[in-house]
Amino acid sequence: MSRLSPRREAWLAWCGPALAALGLLTIAAAALLPGLNDSPLARWILADTLAPARILPLIGFGFALAMISATAVMAALPFATVGIAGALLLPDRLLALLDLIPKAATHLFFAGPISFLAIGAALVGSDRWRTWLTPPAALIVAAMAGLMVKLSDPSLHEPAYTWTPVLATIWIVAAVAMTLRASQRPWFSIFARILGSWLLAIGLLYGGASLMPPKPDLAPPPMPVPDVRPDIPQQQP
Amino acid sequence: MNTMIVRCMAAAAAIAALGSWPLPAAAHIISGAQGGFGSGFAHPLTGPDHFLAMFAVGLWGAQMGGRAVWTLPVTFPLIMVGGGIMGMLGLPLPGIEIGIALSILALGLAISLAWRPVEWIALILISYFALCHGYAHGAELPLSADPADYAIGFVLATGMIHLFGIGVGLALNKPVGGKLARGLGALIGLGGIYFLVPAVTAA
Repeated sequence: MSRLSPRREAWLAWCGPALAALGLLTIAAAALLPGLNDSPLARWILADTLAPARILPLIGFGFALAMISATAVMAALPFATVGIAGALLLPDRLLALLDLIPKAATHLFFAGPISFLAIGAALVGSDRWRTWLTPPAALIVAAMAGLMVKLSDPSLHEPAYTWTPVLATIWIVAAVAMTLRASQRPWFSIFARILGSWLLAIGLLYGGASLMPPKPDLAPPPMPVPDVRPDIPQQQP
Repeated sequence: MNTMIVRCMAAAAAIAALGSWPLPAAAHIISGAQGGFGSGFAHPLTGPDHFLAMFAVGLWGAQMGGRAVWTLPVTFPLIMVGGGIMGMLGLPLPGIEIGIALSILALGLAISLAWRPVEWIALILISYFALCHGYAHGAELPLSADPADYAIGFVLATGMIHLFGIGVGLALNKPVGGKLARGLGALIGLGGIYFLVPAVTAA
């Protein structure tokens, strides 16, 4: 892993935890303060953008950025920028591509499982594998994050409903990457592989469950049919 | 170090006691629609058979040392997915309950005997056990109210139990020549017998 200058390292060591703390305070304020809590935007961010299915691939991406060299990070960031910008500006082309997957339209175009699989594959391998796979994984994870912002937007193109979740996405990745990068431990490499296997397993189960046909015992009971036979006298009001 | 080991043992004992609370032998395979993240996360923690097997995988990996510390817990969830998909598809895999109980017994025995096989043998064993556990959960996953969040919670909790097992294993490996870890393995093996008897009787 390439070394940064001591001054930059010291700055980064504080920057990550400070960013994480600031974001967590903002989330706590949005959840607890009555004025903010009433806002539909805050409620939507808390329920949708910060849902486990959305944040876990981003945490994995942040972890991957913390585990690769600064050069590889510099390679991954443009991929991530292209991915999220492409999904936000040209969502139709991406949707047309993802629509090739069966049942895609009814399962948010499998944006979640694809994110999990991409970053899980990058994390589960060796350090060298991780360095090579993180940039393409960055493209996929960022594109899927952008797509989920577009698909789950309840406001029909209100700008705040686009930029707030995008900022939250960037915050999660940056806070995780910078905090972990500043506190490297030898066991991080082992944990990265284990985390990668979790993310792969979640992606496969999540996608697999969505592709499975519904079980018959989940089918709703038959609707009661009113008896309208003419031989039964109808009570007049 | 001693304080840490005592704390680990106390935590392990508390969780094992909680996990070993008498439950029906077939508690692992549950029926009816499940909830989302919370339900998926709680299931491995409250199902003593699943908890013991996951804990033993981490403990055995830590006891074996070297690459096994991560290859075992990495292999388990990935193969578990294969079993899960078989379960979702409803493919026949007889003797699941027996396989789950055997996994606990075999892992407990391996730990108590401090068995250090060649890595690929350990991985094949782990893979079979993962298939059994995955099948049981895959069969119930499409019944979940929110399969995505259920899968996330379930895999996260499973992975955390692996990590807990690794932590306890690393803490117990050196003191008293590793006898504490072996003793814990024997207890896990007894748990396996507890689950195996009703599973065989019911078969």
